[in-house]
Amino acid sequence: MNTNEKSGFAKFIDSFGLPRLIITAFLLLLLVACPFVGADLPTQISNIISRFSWNGVLVLAMVPMVHSGCGLNFGLPLGIISGLLGATLSIEFGFTGPISFVMAILISTPFALVLGSGYGWLLNRIKGGEMMIATYVGFSSVSLMCMMWLVLPYKSPNMVWGLAGKGLRTTISLEGYYNQVLAKFLAIKIGNFTFPTGTILFFAALALAMWAFLHTKTGTAMTAVGSNPVFARAAGINVNRIRLLSVIMSTWLAAIGILVYQQGFGFVQLYMAPFYMALPAVSAILIGGASVNKATITNVIIGTILFQGIVTMTPTVMNNMIHMDMSEVIRIIVSNGMILYALTRKTEAAT
Amino acid sequence: MKKKRSFIFRLIALALIAALAAWMFLIGRGHTVYFDNKSLTAPDGTAYEPWYQIEILKDGQRVARLKAEDRGMVEVMGQKLTVEVKLAKSKDGKMQGGTIGLELPYNKDGVIYNLPAMLAGAQEEVYMSEFIPTPVEEETEEVVVTDEFVLPSEE
Amino acid sequence: MNTNAKKREKAGAFLRQSSVPIMFVIICAVCIPISGLSPSYLINEIVTRMGRNVFLILSLLIPIMAGMGLNFGMTLGAMAGEIALILVSDWQIVGIPGMVLAMIFSVPFSILLGWFCGKILNMARGREMITSYIISYFINGVYQLVVLYLMGSVIPIRHGSIKLPRGYGIRNTVSLLNMRQKLDNLIPLTIAGVKIPVMTFIVIGVLCLVIIWFRRTKLGQDMRAVGQDMQVARDAGINVERTRIISIIISTVLAGIGMVIYLQNMGNIATYSSHSQIGMFCIAALLVGGASVDKASIGNVFLGVILFHTMFIVAPKAGAAITGDSMIGEYFRVFVSYAVITVALVMYETQKRKRKSLEGQKLAQAQKGEQNKGQKEENEA
Repeated sequence: MNTNEKSGFAKFIDSFGLPRLIITAFLLLLLVACPFVGADLPTQISNIISRFSWNGVLVLAMVPMVHSGCGLNFGLPLGIISGLLGATLSIEFGFTGPISFVMAILISTPFALVLGSGYGWLLNRIKGGEMMIATYVGFSSVSLMCMMWLVLPYKSPNMVWGLAGKGLRTTISLEGYYNQVLAKFLAIKIGNFTFPTGTILFFAALALAMWAFLHTKTGTAMTAVGSNPVFARAAGINVNRIRLLSVIMSTWLAAIGILVYQQGFGFVQLYMAPFYMALPAVSAILIGGASVNKATITNVIIGTILFQGIVTMTPTVMNNMIHMDMSEVIRIIVSNGMILYALTRKTEAAT
Repeated sequence: MKKKRSFIFRLIALALIAALAAWMFLIGRGHTVYFDNKSLTAPDGTAYEPWYQIEILKDGQRVARLKAEDRGMVEVMGQKLTVEVKLAKSKDGKMQGGTIGLELPYNKDGVIYNLPAMLAGAQEEVYMSEFIPTPVEEETEEVVVTDEFVLPSEE
Repeated sequence: MNTNAKKREKAGAFLRQSSVPIMFVIICAVCIPISGLSPSYLINEIVTRMGRNVFLILSLLIPIMAGMGLNFGMTLGAMAGEIALILVSDWQIVGIPGMVLAMIFSVPFSILLGWFCGKILNMARGREMITSYIISYFINGVYQLVVLYLMGSVIPIRHGSIKLPRGYGIRNTVSLLNMRQKLDNLIPLTIAGVKIPVMTFIVIGVLCLVIIWFRRTKLGQDMRAVGQDMQVARDAGINVERTRIISIIISTVLAGIGMVIYLQNMGNIATYSSHSQIGMFCIAALLVGGASVDKASIGNVFLGVILFHTMFIVAPKAGAAITGDSMIGEYFRVFVSYAVITVALVMYETQKRKRKSLEGQKLAQAQKGEQNKGQKEENEA
């Protein structure tokens, strides 16, 4: 009886993953400690929810590539760049208000398709070494775009450096464009607690679409390619095409993801800002219980809540408790530690 | 047998490195030595008057020329300092000379030597004192930049 | 005719291998006249940067020999070197003795970090590079924890010039003025207006000799065997895991010592950023010299330093001259650094796949009956 219970508990830990358990416990501890250190719990929770809503789509972008066996998409910045191009062009063409958001999505889509195809083609040539090359594809494209932001003939006075009259600024305010456009849609406000209904709905729609896609014929083929490429090929699936599709999807979702992030954050960040944006997304989905070759929508949701929860809660609680803001250090150690943990776990499809 | 021998070798190597480190601690200790040509009144009441001019030479190179009430500074590595001093009582007075060997205290970063007192043969605790840097008043807190978004560059 | 074809093949292989250096020679050849920098300034800078960087880059060679790819974890050694230097400058040990002491003190930290890194890399076989890359971020977090919170509160730091005014943590920059270029200037030599850091070059020369010697030792041979084929090496009775860990430890220790040399030339420590990009620059320089992920020589290191840093010095000026904006050149050199690494990684992976499929083909030919099927699979891939 007793042993049975124990093994049940051990099984639970096994399935849940020890690191995830520790992180959940840590977040719960922070939440419990919240009222004692004089922080307002509803504000904190609504902070977590809104940050979840900003980042959700970026984390969702990890899913297709993990499914098709391309590993964690460290090349997320490439998709982000498509999104940035969409954002800046939409503003440049003079769209304002909610329309500018729709146009940003529309304009960034062709960029995401083209860049994603190139990226996918490259990743098909280097099967087995995807993650490292993805990282450097991201870095190279970000630094290439750094030059482009300076050179491209943008004219909008809201975006270029006032003095020189050319070259985009490092941060561009979205006031008057699509700042909070989703978050304010049907937003629910109770005291200090705000629920960004629009953003959550937007994320839910994309997540649902992703879930539905994974259950279509192509979607199951994608999972098959990821879990056993040899078997998939034997079953007559065109492995390279499926992988290419997954990379394009991931890139497009990253483009949409950064636009959603911007509407919440209120600014477009250019130049070096997209550089390390892959790491938080990668560690979020891993914290949610995904591995290098397995990821579900549930992983995305749980992971983003846990990760953003820790990121938002630690500064407040730590500052009030010991007057030492160690949150940055904790974030670095936790997120990279999580990625390390995932990379070192033995996985069947690892080559 | 072979294992034992290599173990001993490693132990010896480790000891040698430790010894090297200890030696570096000894010879590498840096001090800032300040020379004062200032008037000084010892606790017992003896007063020492500054010289008209003192020149200090280290390794044959002049490091300081002190008029009355001046202070000069030398950076020193190790616990021993030998300097040559050239003294003048008045503007066109005869230059006197000599060398001084000093043993610097290990635990003090900065040491002040009052030359008039030292040359007059006062006790060490009279002519030597520790240099304590005056703390900068109300220093503004420095913002630590651990930013990941800085452009990588070497300089 | 056969020999001709062979010759052509050889020439092709040579061109493929040296495409990156050739590209860099062209970039430099174009940019140098545009930048308008005087040759003497340029040569002076390159010589200085050689002295500063070569030791660090040499630390990358041994893991490549052991088949572990580019050691992005060399950053760990750099952090160990920085911690040692911070402590030494707080103890006020100056000049050459201070440097020697910092090198000695960096070793235990490096060994510890290298051992940790090697252990983890053994658990992540086949994805060593991305893992070592993430390790460098992870340990950077630990480094910040130590330097920003523990130093001054747990680890005693006495001097206000190093410590933050709040009483714990290290300032953004730590001055190494009393150590600055002490090694470079130990044997002063100037030839035709070019200042040559003789002692630094002697140290680098000694390390080169040690590396050449090391390749011939039992351990060095073992590493090469492990790098060639892990399974064969294991069958031959080599402790593969241990050999791999040792190779990473050696690399980390060398990087720690290299960082001390690097920083004595710079004259100050940028506490929170000196190490973060060092891995990327060193790896890019090595690759520019014609090295690949699985093959690198001492010659690659020297050629790489010269070409890469020429580009590095010249690019901002040339960029400014062409576009009127100096930032373009700065972004350009960063882009080139990343692009070089990307290209090298892609070439390595495609060649690895080609080799694999070639082996597969041979296997398929051996199994005559299945030949057709094997071909079909090749076509599909």
